[in-house]
Amino acid sequence: MTRLVGGVTLAALAAGLVMGFGIAPREATQGNVQRIMYLHVPSVWVAYLAFAVVLVASIAYLIRRAEAADRLAHASAEVGVLFTGLTIATGSIWGKPTWGTWWTWDARLTSVAILFVMYLGYLLLRGMIEDRERGARFAAVLGIVAAFNIPLVHFSVYWWRTLHQPPSLMKPGPGTMPGIIVTALLVNFVAFSLLYVYFVARRARLLRREAEAAG
Amino acid sequence: MPDNWGFVLAAYGLAAGVLLAYWRFLARRERDLRGAAERNRIAPVSGHPGPEPASRTPRA
Repeated sequence: MTRLVGGVTLAALAAGLVMGFGIAPREATQGNVQRIMYLHVPSVWVAYLAFAVVLVASIAYLIRRAEAADRLAHASAEVGVLFTGLTIATGSIWGKPTWGTWWTWDARLTSVAILFVMYLGYLLLRGMIEDRERGARFAAVLGIVAAFNIPLVHFSVYWWRTLHQPPSLMKPGPGTMPGIIVTALLVNFVAFSLLYVYFVARRARLLRREAEAAG
Repeated sequence: MPDNWGFVLAAYGLAAGVLLAYWRFLARRERDLRGAAERNRIAPVSGHPGPEPASRTPRA
């Protein structure tokens, strides 16, 4: 099953590249550097998705003490950290030619950096506590608390004056982007979401095997 | 505005490298665990358990 998801993911990623580089036109004001958007925006979408799954799985673990929920939270947090790191790195690479700087302490960038550090702390916490049940319990609480940062990240561009532009897609009201660019973005959303499912499925399976091997 | 293809390549190259590295980490860890499980399964069947640690030390 995982292999099938992996194959479909590869095909979707290839389609995303074709859409982003072959079909979507060159953006009028930014030029071709805007094509980083097809990587940067789906990355942050996957990070949001991953941390939302951590929140739900953590609540489920605290209620039912099901180890599967804990493994799902752990795997999702790890993949979420990976994609948050990618979001920060690709945003920084995009920022240099468009804003003239790699980094600035504006509300969006700072809140994403805090999100990254919080979930990095979540993973470190899991690694530090030897008693598995206790570690899972503490991590679940942190996984719930850290999720409060997600709306802060998303709405930071509205609540504070930022260099980062407001959302182009995930916002109320009619869209302002041309249809072909939206389509290219959506194909990449699907591809990255599949990649998330593939990585989390494999990581969760690994965590189960590690737990079985540890006895 | 210039196209800045170098930045585009850097972003996509970095992403490809990171994602590939994570995929390889998962594959390697899975292989290691499978190997360990296989060894654990075979050892008692073969009937040749390793010597006790004390038996390895030379007698005075």
